[in-house]
Amino acid sequence: MAQPVIEARGLGIKFVKQRRRKLRLRELVIHLGRRAPGKDEFWALREISFQIHPGEAVGVIGRNGSGKSTLLRLIAGVMTPDEGDVVCHQLVAPLLQVGAGFSGDLTGRENVQLVGALYGLHPAQLKQKLPQIIDFAEIGDFIDMPVRHYSSGMKVRLGFAITAQLHHPVLLVDEALAVGDKDFRAKCYREMERMRSEGRTLVLVSHRESDLTRFCTRGLYLEKGRLVVDGTLDEALGTYQQGART
Amino acid sequence: MANTVTTPEGVQPSRNTAARVHDVWRHRGTLRLLVQRDLTIKYQQSVLGYFWSLLEPMAMAGVYWFVFGVLYGTRVGPDNSSYPLFLVSGLFAWLWVNSTIGEATKALTSQAQIIKTIRLPREVYPIGRVLARFAEYLAGLPVIALFVALYDGHVGWSLLALPLALILQAAFLLGFALLVAPLNVMMRDIERISRLLQRVLFYAAPVIYPLSLVDDSDLPGWVKTVYHANPLVGVFQLHHAAWYPSEFPSPTLLATSAVGCLALLVLGWWSFRRLEPAVLKEL
Repeated sequence: MAQPVIEARGLGIKFVKQRRRKLRLRELVIHLGRRAPGKDEFWALREISFQIHPGEAVGVIGRNGSGKSTLLRLIAGVMTPDEGDVVCHQLVAPLLQVGAGFSGDLTGRENVQLVGALYGLHPAQLKQKLPQIIDFAEIGDFIDMPVRHYSSGMKVRLGFAITAQLHHPVLLVDEALAVGDKDFRAKCYREMERMRSEGRTLVLVSHRESDLTRFCTRGLYLEKGRLVVDGTLDEALGTYQQGART
Repeated sequence: MANTVTTPEGVQPSRNTAARVHDVWRHRGTLRLLVQRDLTIKYQQSVLGYFWSLLEPMAMAGVYWFVFGVLYGTRVGPDNSSYPLFLVSGLFAWLWVNSTIGEATKALTSQAQIIKTIRLPREVYPIGRVLARFAEYLAGLPVIALFVALYDGHVGWSLLALPLALILQAAFLLGFALLVAPLNVMMRDIERISRLLQRVLFYAAPVIYPLSLVDDSDLPGWVKTVYHANPLVGVFQLHHAAWYPSEFPSPTLLATSAVGCLALLVLGWWSFRRLEPAVLKEL
């Protein structure tokens, strides 16, 4: 088989349990942000190893707090593991939060330029794709209004419209699929399917079985930060449902 | 990247300083966008727009000129030159320091959403703040030039002091921003400390008064030594020296300042890297 696009080796990350974590100055100076090992810590993920190959569609399944979103963040590189590593061999588009990075004071158009560029799109490319984005988001003339005045639906639609223009070969999606009203959702699904049909790799975190079965063939089931099942989607879903029943 | 070995702390050795600097450099386009956004948001909603960045130092200069120039009769340099140009050359540069210190603490906390979603070298956020405030300083240069013309500022080789001042100041501010931005994520107290620092530093550097007043005062020697250890003393002397060659810092002062600014930059860069993993979890 070809080289994997995503490779996780012994991945682990730990958090501090206390909700109100106050770092004491002394601790900060002495340990420099690394804490003394032991107390108050728990591993949100540990000993996670897997490989994802080009064109695969992987669903990450698990209960709340099992570390799904954290795993996605680690793959996206917006968190650093405490143990092991994860390597992506191709460009990754993290769609972790639709509409992230919008500034309320800027117009929709300016935000598209900014957020698109942050995702790595070329400004000229963006300008050329702007009509498509406006059309897809169905916001028409509102594009020149500050995003502050948008409805939440409009923001989400614009956010998704931008991400639909990304050409990254790997997509990381965190429950961002079901956005907007029924019609728009259908459009999002069509768009996702188009991206899939282009042979892009997909990693999807979701609680909705319908989304998972629709897009994914492989499943990773996480339980308390451990990778319990790495197999077909049905296997992973089966274990998940079994766990839910007991 | 394929064969990264992991050290116990989880820091990948391949992410060394050179690689990170290169990373930031590769994202300079993004940096420009962030700076643009910063300035657009700041100025688009006010009628006076860019003139605000001039008005503030001008108003301050007016006040200090009234108090110290008129009431206390401050004169500058060996030939008793006029005071307004001295004030303006100090205050415009000071506002760069002042606003950077004020904003650096929030550089990461206010961008939590983007940081948690899009992978960029995290250094760009504090660096962007420093650059945006530098752009405002540049916008004030015409006013300084105007004062140079009005008050007979010296124009000549001494002008070279200005770029030197800006380089050292940039190193100081970048170091400061990289140091406090992640710290503030862990301890929000940093924000308050910074506000205090803004006030203290203003009087702890020769921004509005000539350095000779400190040197000629009857302060104990060790106080003067501590005072001179502040890297900003040399920086502001250079700012003044551009138009008042007599103010050019002594080699010792210049060296102290250069070493201090660079040390802060190194410290900031280093601590940013060390704190980054913890910051990303905490945001």
